[in-house]
Amino acid sequence: MEIYLPIAELSMNVFLLLGLGAAAGLLSGMFGVGGGFLATPLLIFVGIPPAVAVASQANQVVANSISSLQVQWRRGNVDLRMGLVLLAGGMLGSSGGVWLFTYLKRIGQIDFVIAVLYVVMLSTIGLLMLFESLRSYFRRRRNPEAPRGKLHTHYMVHRLPLKLRFYKSKLYISALLPLGLGFLIGILSAILGVGGGFVLVPAMIYLLGMPTAVVIGTSNFQILFVAANVTFLQAATNGTVDVVLALLLILGGVVGAPIGARIAAKLPGLALRALMSILILAVAAELLTELLRTPSSLYSLGSREVLR
Amino acid sequence: MRRAGTLAALGVALSLFVSAAGALAQSPRVEPAPATRPAPTIGGPPDAMAPPSVPTEPTTPDLIVDLSLARVSITSAFQGESILMFGMFDPPGEIVVVVAGPAARETVMRKQRFLGIWLNTGRQSFDDVPAYYAIAASQPLQRLLARSAGGEILSLEDRLASVKPATPRDAADLARFRAGLVEVKRREGLYPAAIGQVTVQAGRLFRVDLPFPSRLPEGVYEVRVYLLREGKIVAAVSRPLPVGKVGFSAQLAGWASHDGTLYGLGAILMALLVGWIGGSVMRRL
Repeated sequence: MEIYLPIAELSMNVFLLLGLGAAAGLLSGMFGVGGGFLATPLLIFVGIPPAVAVASQANQVVANSISSLQVQWRRGNVDLRMGLVLLAGGMLGSSGGVWLFTYLKRIGQIDFVIAVLYVVMLSTIGLLMLFESLRSYFRRRRNPEAPRGKLHTHYMVHRLPLKLRFYKSKLYISALLPLGLGFLIGILSAILGVGGGFVLVPAMIYLLGMPTAVVIGTSNFQILFVAANVTFLQAATNGTVDVVLALLLILGGVVGAPIGARIAAKLPGLALRALMSILILAVAAELLTELLRTPSSLYSLGSREVLR
Repeated sequence: MRRAGTLAALGVALSLFVSAAGALAQSPRVEPAPATRPAPTIGGPPDAMAPPSVPTEPTTPDLIVDLSLARVSITSAFQGESILMFGMFDPPGEIVVVVAGPAARETVMRKQRFLGIWLNTGRQSFDDVPAYYAIAASQPLQRLLARSAGGEILSLEDRLASVKPATPRDAADLARFRAGLVEVKRREGLYPAAIGQVTVQAGRLFRVDLPFPSRLPEGVYEVRVYLLREGKIVAAVSRPLPVGKVGFSAQLAGWASHDGTLYGLGAILMALLVGWIGGSVMRRL
């Protein structure tokens, strides 16, 4: 069954889009990240213009994060103070990101920048996660009763000025760190159409040293508002949000997420992280070959401008 | 559905044919070809009632056309459309149909390998590029256009040769960008490579299917029909064909372009509602 997408201006199979949404939802249920990092490249791959794919995916992220924030908020897993600091950075970053996106689109380099950013980010995160899960696997085998060390490691960056106490995260660190992190995630969110959970969650654990329990809820909180900001700005400045496309992805995601959560409950966390890292690396490898392979056509068209 | 529409259209064509046999030259749509324009007459050719056996001064031959649909409507279920064009002409002659989309500026980008990675390095804008261009003919076009068709542009090659580059560039490179433009448009089905077949029945009744792909730019298209005799255009008719979104998709697209702020807020609200309700429902299951 085909449906015409009014903003993307092409018709596409309904079940393909629902399936894509469900796959992204499955990932978000399993790993607690948005799944946008997988959905956006796939949308572009099936022929949705990159600008529409990114903007509509941001709209999908709004629905995805409200639905998991519902649960996290009730369980008290949101560090509101940390969330607000991240959000302040995120709003700045995403607004600048939408501006950057518009500029890159005008000079015809947005596809290239999207692909390169994905390759760099996904391969870094994927390798880090794979390395970490392998290391903890071997450590556990060697010494299953290893005592827990310090609450978290203090890096130099934690000692920057503007130190703030984050009670729920049991942290006393410089606010500049989460502010800068939020800013970077905001830019990523605007350019790549992702919530940024797959960068934010590891960064909160390993860089900020937040306890795992509050990480998902707090990142959901920041992602919800940043994605809403990206959706709004993309709609207002570029007119590239396709609500029909977004609605189909959301409906698929709503069904996929609880299935993913059920799978996650049955699998051990270590295997889950290893699985996720392999998936991330596979997407990165695919995008990299796409950049290196001789394209079937050297030519492409920019946007049409009707002259008066 | 489509077959029924085609049949109905054929019926209309046939009745046109029958009625036209009695009273010719009633169509106000006939335009004389610019090259052979005689002294302007009001109210049709004066010799319309003359017996056909009597040799007369060369006047504009009759050419009547109609389309099975007055417009191409892009609905939520739009997957491309095929429109039947039919009509009648004074024999002898051959028919050429040209469908041209609205003109706009297009920017062609060319990829080049840079440090092992393929990226867009060259770009060239062209003004006045038709969004869509298709040709149909009752005979192979080369034969019809062996001689100059009276300055009228028919083939895609001629049409694109008239497209102005927005910035100057050397001729050889410009030709490569122009070829690149055709390549992309062809891939999207907007410049069909094959020349459509105009079928002629009883020597004077013709019909042709005009295919439009799903990825169709909006605007007012122009369908031009030419009657050629010995390689010369002796009559030409032009019909506008509006292509536009209708119904739900038209409303959404209009909303998105006219009031992006409100549309953006609506999109966020939709996502919040569906995400909230969907999440609550699915967790209960």
